[in-house]
Amino acid sequence: MFQKILIANRGEVAVRIARAARASKMTVVGVCSTADQGAGWLAEMDEVVCIGGPSPRESYLRFDRIVQAALQTGATAIHPGWGFLAENARFAALCEQHGITFIGPSPRVMEMMGLKSPAKAAMRAAGLDVIPGSIGLLVDIDDALKVAARVGYPLILKADAGGGGRGMRLCHDDAALKAGYISASNEAQSAFGNGALYLESYLTGGRHIEVQVIGDRFGHAVHLYERECSIQRNHQKLIEESPSPALTPDQREELGARAARAAASIGYAGAGTIEFLRAQSGRIHFMEMNTRLQVEHPVTEMITGIDIVQEQFNVAANRSLRLSQIDVRVRGHAIECRINAEDPADDFRPSPGVITRMDVPLDRGPGTVRVDTHVAAGYEVPPYYDSLIAKVIVHAPDRTSAIETMVRTLSAAVIEGVATTIPLHLAVLASAEFARGEYDTRSIPGWKPRQKARV
Amino acid sequence: MKANALELELVTDGDAQCLAAPEVGWFTCALPRGAVVAPGESAGRILALGRAYELIVPEGALGEVVSDPPELIRKPVAFREVLYRLAPVGNVAKAKPVARIEAATKSSALAIRAPQSGRFYHRSAPSEPPFVTVGAEITEGRPVGMIEVMKTFSHVVYRATAGLPKTAKIARMVAKDGADVKTGDVLIELEPAG
Repeated sequence: MFQKILIANRGEVAVRIARAARASKMTVVGVCSTADQGAGWLAEMDEVVCIGGPSPRESYLRFDRIVQAALQTGATAIHPGWGFLAENARFAALCEQHGITFIGPSPRVMEMMGLKSPAKAAMRAAGLDVIPGSIGLLVDIDDALKVAARVGYPLILKADAGGGGRGMRLCHDDAALKAGYISASNEAQSAFGNGALYLESYLTGGRHIEVQVIGDRFGHAVHLYERECSIQRNHQKLIEESPSPALTPDQREELGARAARAAASIGYAGAGTIEFLRAQSGRIHFMEMNTRLQVEHPVTEMITGIDIVQEQFNVAANRSLRLSQIDVRVRGHAIECRINAEDPADDFRPSPGVITRMDVPLDRGPGTVRVDTHVAAGYEVPPYYDSLIAKVIVHAPDRTSAIETMVRTLSAAVIEGVATTIPLHLAVLASAEFARGEYDTRSIPGWKPRQKARV
Repeated sequence: MKANALELELVTDGDAQCLAAPEVGWFTCALPRGAVVAPGESAGRILALGRAYELIVPEGALGEVVSDPPELIRKPVAFREVLYRLAPVGNVAKAKPVARIEAATKSSALAIRAPQSGRFYHRSAPSEPPFVTVGAEITEGRPVGMIEVMKTFSHVVYRATAGLPKTAKIARMVAKDGADVKTGDVLIELEPAG
């Protein structure tokens, strides 16, 4: 196992990884920007190297400085966390070049799963259902029209290197497709340096269900069942739960087994998540694979009792998987709420500032409560990074008591100094739709968007 | 090994001028105690990922090194870690404080201030023209820049509140394009319109 690792991240995830590493007797090197220097969460690190200015591109995205920091502190492995460099194949390759283990899959697999069309082709070959559309990239507009005739409208044009909605066009007929093809290609070329496009059937609504997988470097892979993440706002997940209320036990076993086989077939080594869209028709289509630890991984840890970060360390150290599929058992129900420093009453306006009080009770039962956070009273939420300040995860024997535990915990939580998304979570948890488990990605049950008039 | 030139960072610790690392890496070829440094001169090297950076003394730094060189021949240093402490030499006057900082704090009564802490931008995208330029007349409701807070961008809009007139003229852009600002910092100085 590693003796000393470096964590190329900040805040909540850096603390989560540092605690796991120290529990396995590793020495932990943290990195920070000048804006984070002196922050309380850095006390979780044995050593800290400041790597640059406040903006992520001056510090947490400077992979040359991060690799150099690992070399000069004697760290032999780097955990990237999530966000920042976690899915950057060039960073993983640079680590490898300097003899440092990147805790994640190989750069080759990361690159393949990072581009939409090779990822889709690989998963189709591995036996997963993909969203109907073009096979591979579109050659030209005539090719696009042929695909449209085969699949039917509505269709969505997407950029191969896409993200953040750029290079995407919704088309309802041939005329819109012709017009959209050129503008989307130009937009993708200027945004990503890659104008390649593909075409997919446009599915509205549906549910976002993802499967946690872990593979080793010897071709084994297991799945840790699914997480339901359909409660979203602008593609940002707000509440995650497992098991998904939308799947039957048989469907759950089958989806997990197919995801594990797909991961093994591409030689996936590390923890990863395969995201699916369950269409209103009930069909489950592959969407994309995230080649990293996910923010919502504690949901899976609560129902399986498996520490996913420890398993990442284990397979990154070239050991074979300690788990076989029959060891993975689901107990009870878990729900996670992401508490962000945002004001839901004011269109989710970011709310940086000093947190003057932070009390989240752990004993409001009937279930158990886990709080993952890097924040304590007196902490200043800096304006440069994302707004996540804590994750509250509950675990109970069944879904009803899990919801009850979450409601009691969040109702009694006191966070002062910044606005938080707790009122939104409480509204969703109290809604009849959420209680019935009937919701999809289009709306937030129980929440009426209300935009305060700005002066 | 051919070295790229890189300016040291000038920081202050109490009254003392210090020179700090502009890169993460191994610091080597350190100047000894007693050496006199002046702008443009070399003051050691940093090695990082197979590259060598020649450390150049920046504008405004002048004095005698009063700290000991590190014991290690190649000392690992972090970004902005202090490498040298300086003291004024003989009757050489202490280098004058950087002028722009002094000017920036001399705020006039007529000013647009930062509504939130974050990063201030003069333009909506690098290829776009700035929202306003010096000499322009602005009226209530006019966007004068953007502020980025936690990856969210919002416009900074001119408001005729707190004694500001309905119409004013841009006198000076105080916060630079891309500058980090705190709530209440002066972004733009104004003067009464013609």
